[in-house]
Amino acid sequence: MSGILIIAEHRRGELRPVTLELVSAAQAVRRTPQERVAVAVLASDPERFIPGVSVAGVDEIITVKTAAGEFDPDVLEAAVAALIAERRPALVLVPHSIDSFGYAAALAARGGYGFATDVFQLAYDGEVLIATRGGYGQKVNVELDFPGRAVIVLALRASVFKPPEGRASPAVSSFAAPAARSRTRSREFIEAPASDDVDMTSAEFILAIGRGIGEQANVERFRELAAAAGAVLGCSRPIADAGWLPKSRQIGQSGKTASACRLYVAMGISGAIQHLAGMKHVSTIVAVNSDAAASIFSIATYGIVADIFEIADALRGHFAK
Amino acid sequence: MKVLVAVKQVAALDEDFAIRADGKDVEADFLVRDLNEWDEYSLEEAVKIREATAAAPVEVVAVCAGPEDADEALRKCLAKGADRAVRVWDEAVGGSDAIAIARLIAAVARREKPDLIFAGAQSADHAFAATGIAVAALLEWPHAAVITHLAFTPGAASAVVRRELEGGVLHEMQIDCPAVLTIQLGINTPRYASLRSIKQAAAKPIEVLTPAELGVGPDAVGEDGSLSRVRRMYVPSVKRAQMIEGNVAEQAARLAELIRERTGGAA
Amino acid sequence: MSDAQAVTRVLFEDFAPAAITAFYLIAAAAIAVFGFGVYVGVRKYRRGTAAALEGGLLARFGTMIGTVLSHRTVAYRDRAAGAAHRLIFYGFVLLFIGTSTITLDYDILGPLFGAHFWYGTFYLWFSLVLDVAGVALAAGLLYMMYRRGWLRPPKLDYARPDRQPGDADYDRSGYRREDWAFLWTLLLIVATGYLLEAARLVWLAARPDVWDYRWWSPAGALIALGLRAAGMSAVAGGALRMGLWWFHGLLALVFIALIPFTKVKHILTALGSLMLRDPLAAQRLPKVPAEQPRAGVQYISDFSWKQLLALDACTKCGRCHEACPARAVGAPLSPRDVILSLREFANRTLESAQLPAQAELEVHGKGPGQIAMETLWSCRTCMACVEVCPVAIEHVPVIVQLRRKLVEDGAMDPQLQGTLQTLHKNGNSFGEGRRKRAAWTKALPFAVKDARKEPVDVLWFVGDYASFDPRNQKVSQGLATLLHQAGVDFGILYEGESNAGNDVRRVGEEGLYEVLAAANIKSLSAARFTSIVTTDPHSYNTIRNEYPDFGGSYPIEHYTTLLLRLLQQGRLKIARPLGLRTTFHDPCHLGRFNQGYEAPREILRLLGCELIEMRRCRANSFCCGAGGGRIWMPDPVGADRPAHNRMREAAEIPGLQVYVVSCPKDLTMFEDALKATGNEGRFVVRELIELVREALGHEAAAPVAGIAA
Repeated sequence: MSGILIIAEHRRGELRPVTLELVSAAQAVRRTPQERVAVAVLASDPERFIPGVSVAGVDEIITVKTAAGEFDPDVLEAAVAALIAERRPALVLVPHSIDSFGYAAALAARGGYGFATDVFQLAYDGEVLIATRGGYGQKVNVELDFPGRAVIVLALRASVFKPPEGRASPAVSSFAAPAARSRTRSREFIEAPASDDVDMTSAEFILAIGRGIGEQANVERFRELAAAAGAVLGCSRPIADAGWLPKSRQIGQSGKTASACRLYVAMGISGAIQHLAGMKHVSTIVAVNSDAAASIFSIATYGIVADIFEIADALRGHFAK
Repeated sequence: MKVLVAVKQVAALDEDFAIRADGKDVEADFLVRDLNEWDEYSLEEAVKIREATAAAPVEVVAVCAGPEDADEALRKCLAKGADRAVRVWDEAVGGSDAIAIARLIAAVARREKPDLIFAGAQSADHAFAATGIAVAALLEWPHAAVITHLAFTPGAASAVVRRELEGGVLHEMQIDCPAVLTIQLGINTPRYASLRSIKQAAAKPIEVLTPAELGVGPDAVGEDGSLSRVRRMYVPSVKRAQMIEGNVAEQAARLAELIRERTGGAA
Repeated sequence: MSDAQAVTRVLFEDFAPAAITAFYLIAAAAIAVFGFGVYVGVRKYRRGTAAALEGGLLARFGTMIGTVLSHRTVAYRDRAAGAAHRLIFYGFVLLFIGTSTITLDYDILGPLFGAHFWYGTFYLWFSLVLDVAGVALAAGLLYMMYRRGWLRPPKLDYARPDRQPGDADYDRSGYRREDWAFLWTLLLIVATGYLLEAARLVWLAARPDVWDYRWWSPAGALIALGLRAAGMSAVAGGALRMGLWWFHGLLALVFIALIPFTKVKHILTALGSLMLRDPLAAQRLPKVPAEQPRAGVQYISDFSWKQLLALDACTKCGRCHEACPARAVGAPLSPRDVILSLREFANRTLESAQLPAQAELEVHGKGPGQIAMETLWSCRTCMACVEVCPVAIEHVPVIVQLRRKLVEDGAMDPQLQGTLQTLHKNGNSFGEGRRKRAAWTKALPFAVKDARKEPVDVLWFVGDYASFDPRNQKVSQGLATLLHQAGVDFGILYEGESNAGNDVRRVGEEGLYEVLAAANIKSLSAARFTSIVTTDPHSYNTIRNEYPDFGGSYPIEHYTTLLLRLLQQGRLKIARPLGLRTTFHDPCHLGRFNQGYEAPREILRLLGCELIEMRRCRANSFCCGAGGGRIWMPDPVGADRPAHNRMREAAEIPGLQVYVVSCPKDLTMFEDALKATGNEGRFVVRELIELVREALGHEAAAPVAGIAA
């Protein structure tokens, strides 16, 4: 069993960038430089993704033409299982994403492969693969191994590995996927309603509020503070779920990514992993929280342990009315 | 019509916890247990289906693979509207990963013969996000994960669901039934179960089964039945932000300074 | 002197036998109607559930008689109304006794035993007393008319905050008409009575047995003088007398017949309600028996017969409406209107011969006579309403029992729901781990004994806010320092303490309350101590008054009495008197609930502070708004809050330097309100413990000197 097989992820005709992060991860973990890294693209028109995955570190691109236009777990599972049976890779990498939530466990359960999700660190100790993930709400780290499993499937956490720099021209081959009975049918994609004109993804300075603000009546003072300081007001999931701010202002895994942000001030946000996914890349993060043990302090650049209302009131005085 | 809801009693860490001597888990004393937050939503979704249907009776059965203290989570489910509860356990189940647990849930499903199976999209403690979908594979059922919207009429051959994707976009799919769905937060508003109703639910029996009674052998559960094994658990050295000290006025002043620096004095 | 026997009033003089018979028939009919009304009322009460009554029948009867005769509750905080009502009450009672006396003589003793007593000296004094009684009654009635018609106090305008114009039961003009009809009818009966008395005198002026003693009926005599001066003849007097006799008699009989059907019924129901009074009604809420199918009140018939009777005792005096802090800030709650709605509902449903279908007995909702969720959730359970009610209506248990149903249904604010779940999981409302409860002790330079592990003299039950809220943690550290300095052998329960449950119970989550109480009683029973002290008045109330019902009886005091003792015994020595101008806010659960008014005031005096009382102080203290679980519910955006209302009252005290509190929630609410009402910098809010520390010369206490006087 050798070789690393990466299953590319795409949606609505676009390759999802997280696929390339898997290539870097494969580079980092492979036991010898000769161990082959192959990227499989399963789509109704796999050829369109070839340029996108032709990056340094990829030895081979396997195109698999499937009947499915968009995400289809049955088709994916049958095709990947067949691919694994044919190629016998030691390690299969998929992103820990909403799509993989929908099929990876089924693939692993049916095939009896070693399996772990949300892995952010992987390395070989001799011949033994060790995968590290979080535990108890990300408060501890857990090292896993997979005794007796010839093939190991891992879903890797996004934004941990940097995509590779540099292009390459990997060999391209094709694989005939077996016919699979599809029991789901994709219908349509529905954008989140943009109820106000704000575009979090282009905001450079964001002031985000979380559960720590307490009650809906308090949103106003932070809105006012953000406006006075020149920031766009954002929030974590609980605020949007409660309807205190529109969903378009939610930062996080199922909200917006603060892509253009250079300064992110988080007030009353504890740092749940789903929220971090949307902002931890920002170059300067200031976290304000009354709980000194809040996990957001582990990814913030600066931290203030204080009552967020007192800080907000004091901060307000520094900006023109 | 029957809906089987797989629930988990998750553990949260207390302050100042300690790792067990064998280094593979946290000392049990420091674990605070509660029903998985996602399961409140999947249970509520099942109860809503029952309440929306006057025609045919819908039975909601909650199932949990866990030791005796998991009865508390099941009692909460009974108080929140489940009709029956089933718990599966014996010593061999300890140390099971999501897939091993899924084998037990699947075995209960073969016994109960439900029309729909719900599970939480992930658990609040370890967030493997795998149990529900693994159950589907073992039963060879259609499956969809991270569902925030469900339109289903009991007896229908298919349902329409929406998955919540990264960035908040929803993907609508039609799925053949019977199916396994893993439910995401926010699909509904879970009802409150008063302590009294939880206490009254204590009168409802919880059926306890062993893996053997379900036809699941010891090699299919525990560490032997898992697709991964815990080597060690440890507290990571946490990178820490540069803390801004002082009283509130000083801290706010420094923050204002940072804002001016980073935004080029635009404010 | 004529024969004493002749000095009397001949009843039915000059009446044809048929007329007398007719009168008695009419009287019997009136009494029958009255009796039927009473029967309908009693039937209505019996449709309620059983009631647990406190104390022996004789004791309660004695208390009721004392209360009624002294009119203490009617005069309480409204001296004018009290005085006028005394006149009405005593006037009416005397006149009633008078008529009964006549009946006794004429209809009972006379026919049965041939014995008569109503003549001679007795008769004369009788006449005088009753004339005075009538004047008193009239004076009281006239004042009440002046009060309603001219003074028009706001509490009597019946405007209700829990309905909108357009709602079926919004309009209260029916009540107003009834009030005026009552006053006018009674006044008319009195007036015609005097006129009748005068007419008789004119008619019998020729008879010395009557005319010579006319001044024993001074009012009648005066009017008779006027009538004769106007030229009325004896014959005319006789005719007038006959006419008035029937008018007055029939009017009085109609009045009596209608007593059970009108507001006049309060003369019976108020006595009943006062007799059933539970002095700990709001402090010690009723348990839910395990067999009871529903935890709270869903149907009108779920109320006890005592509560249904109390509904009928309400006279719409409006004092509870005036005292309520929720109503004062515009919330859709008036305790008066909760009672009146339920009464209207009970009358509509439980007075019919056939009990309506259960679905029609549902009291929750927005229909006529029903109580809305928003109304029930507005209550702060501060018991201002219960405390001021002249007829001992117990509003707070009614509201809590209705809330219990809302909790069963999960019909509550999401934030409250989350807090209840947190309380269940962690034993505190802050969502912190149990082990963090005693984290505030780590900053102390000495160790605090663990009362679970070793015996202590004083077990300090700290409470949620005092343990977890940063501002209140400083106060807890302050008290620990004081106790340590005074050499008190004290300890705390560390993680063995959970939220005492007072507010959880008042929210209506009885099941969770039982869990919390059981946990605390378990910890307390395992510990060895002499007495408990607490910094939290809410915990104080429930441990003192409610834990005994759950198997835990412990001697407990609030820290104010302990600190006072330490100061008086010299175990704490004042280094420098503070000389500050202060006002003291009586916390609801310490003051009004448990009469703990004096200790804090005495401490302030010992500290050398000048105490200026606010208008609403002691039993009339105005709630900070945090009670009844309201601190776990968001306030409507932009609405006024009780704490702001209270701050504005305090700000009226010229030169006020310190607003003193002795409750953790008060500290939190009022420090917030100080800023929100723009009073920051004018005076400060301080916990009493902090002032004590300052007087003792502790540096850690933030000095108050320096605030502009």
